[in-house]
Amino acid sequence: MKPIRMFAATGMLGYGYAEESIETALSMDLDLIAADAGSMDPGPYYLGAGTAFVSRPAAKRDLALMMEGGAKKGVPVFIGSAGGGGGDPHVDWLMEIVREIAAEKGLHPKVAVIRSEQSKDMLKAKAKAGKIAPLGPIGELTEDEIEGSHRVVAMMGPEPFQKALEDGADVVIAGRASDAAIYAAIPLMRGADPGLAWHLGKIIECGAQVAEPRLGGDGVIGTLYDDYFTVEPGHPEKRVTRTRVAAHTLYENPSPYHLKEPTGLVDTTHADFTQLDDRTVKVTGSHFEPANRYTVKLEGVRSLGYRMVSMAGTRDPILIDQIDTYVDHCKERATFEVGQLGIEPGTFRINVHVYGKNATMGAIEPVKETAAHELGILVDVIGDTEEISKAVCAKMRYILLHGDFEGRMCISGNMAIPFSPSDMTVGPVYEFSVWHVMECDHPLEAVRMEMEAL
Amino acid sequence: MAKLRDMAKVIRSKNAGALQFTLDVMFEDPATYEKVRDSGELTPRKLAPLYGVTDNEVAVIPFDVAYAIKITLPRKIPSGSPGDTDIYGAQQHAPLLDIEVAD
Repeated sequence: MKPIRMFAATGMLGYGYAEESIETALSMDLDLIAADAGSMDPGPYYLGAGTAFVSRPAAKRDLALMMEGGAKKGVPVFIGSAGGGGGDPHVDWLMEIVREIAAEKGLHPKVAVIRSEQSKDMLKAKAKAGKIAPLGPIGELTEDEIEGSHRVVAMMGPEPFQKALEDGADVVIAGRASDAAIYAAIPLMRGADPGLAWHLGKIIECGAQVAEPRLGGDGVIGTLYDDYFTVEPGHPEKRVTRTRVAAHTLYENPSPYHLKEPTGLVDTTHADFTQLDDRTVKVTGSHFEPANRYTVKLEGVRSLGYRMVSMAGTRDPILIDQIDTYVDHCKERATFEVGQLGIEPGTFRINVHVYGKNATMGAIEPVKETAAHELGILVDVIGDTEEISKAVCAKMRYILLHGDFEGRMCISGNMAIPFSPSDMTVGPVYEFSVWHVMECDHPLEAVRMEMEAL
Repeated sequence: MAKLRDMAKVIRSKNAGALQFTLDVMFEDPATYEKVRDSGELTPRKLAPLYGVTDNEVAVIPFDVAYAIKITLPRKIPSGSPGDTDIYGAQQHAPLLDIEVAD
């Protein structure tokens, strides 16, 4: 097999990379320029709201250099998990940027647009047929849960990327996709060892996270041979180290040895990492265990309402000594007072995060008595509607400021409030409600593809 | 006895998906790694109470090639759900720092 060389421009489209890095890659024999563009790590909001968590200019800059490089070199450009969440509005957002880049740079690529947002009908049919199962500590996906969901995406495997290439795509803009599948697609098409192809994909999908020094986002180059692969930095002054590559196998995975992908399990139990030279690491021994069913991961959110937050601090030692009781008292009082406005208790929730005490670890914080001389108080209100949320937040802020407590001396105000206005609008709130796997009849069942010639 | 913070090079936490935390304890040399791995201090039984979960919910996985020990456990509240304190799960490592290991 002829070696397959791929440039992972950045760990996240919009997190940036050095121009020197892509220039290095373009000076070599190259088969793919790609980037992962998504993650569920920033939480449920972005999938729900259909917005990106990187800025538009940042995504455009990263993608423009990739598209120009791809066109110049005649190699395909793949983007997985477009727009962050990989839902339809996210794909549309990135496609608008793709068209803009093409027009500005005079490029005329054939673009495959692959969508992986799932319809409720499809999900209900799959659930009814027993083809959806929980992924981790979450319940079964019921019909009610599907009906109540706001947006659900399926994480595609390498096959849709392969189909796009077969259909002549120069650029692939894919919805939610397995990070590693972006890079496993071409090697698997060419008959590469699947264990090595997947493991390579997993390592390079985070870009230069395996390189030193770590100054911002950057690209790495992965090269796959018959029985090993290498990883080296794009940037001439960086180094990829054995420690970082081995450590990356651990990153964000529940297990370092097993990585679940649509067609099976990547097993790195017997993987071996060698420092080949100053800047290159060689990996051998990764294995792939095929599954007898094709499964895709489902990620979905439901809408919860509307969030307002308010921030304050207290420097009063008498209050600090009894902060938990005081916060509970304020919540009760606010609930009572908004009741007088006709706001029912079941229509909102108040969470108070006390920074300096246990705001980071919550109930499991092992340090029970704070030694802090001041505390930060973050009031988080989620109401069924914007109006409810604003009314409850305003009451909480007022009561925290002026409420009474035992031994109180600071009777003109208990809180230092840093901003005016003091209540801040966060907006719509979502929560993860779907975290499951779905069995597919074939690898393209959960995706829709269209071609756009620019 | 020595504290884990004085023996390890990295003690970090992060989400492994929206429903789990994963903590990595990484060492610079195999001797220290093996000492901690074999100490019996990083076990589900000892770690579960630190995170308010049960023994059978905690997985402790040594990863020899990286001189690293991975600990995976369920989140009490999924990432971003009401009451969550740490969307990325990046600051849940502190209870590990002061674990004492015989040196």
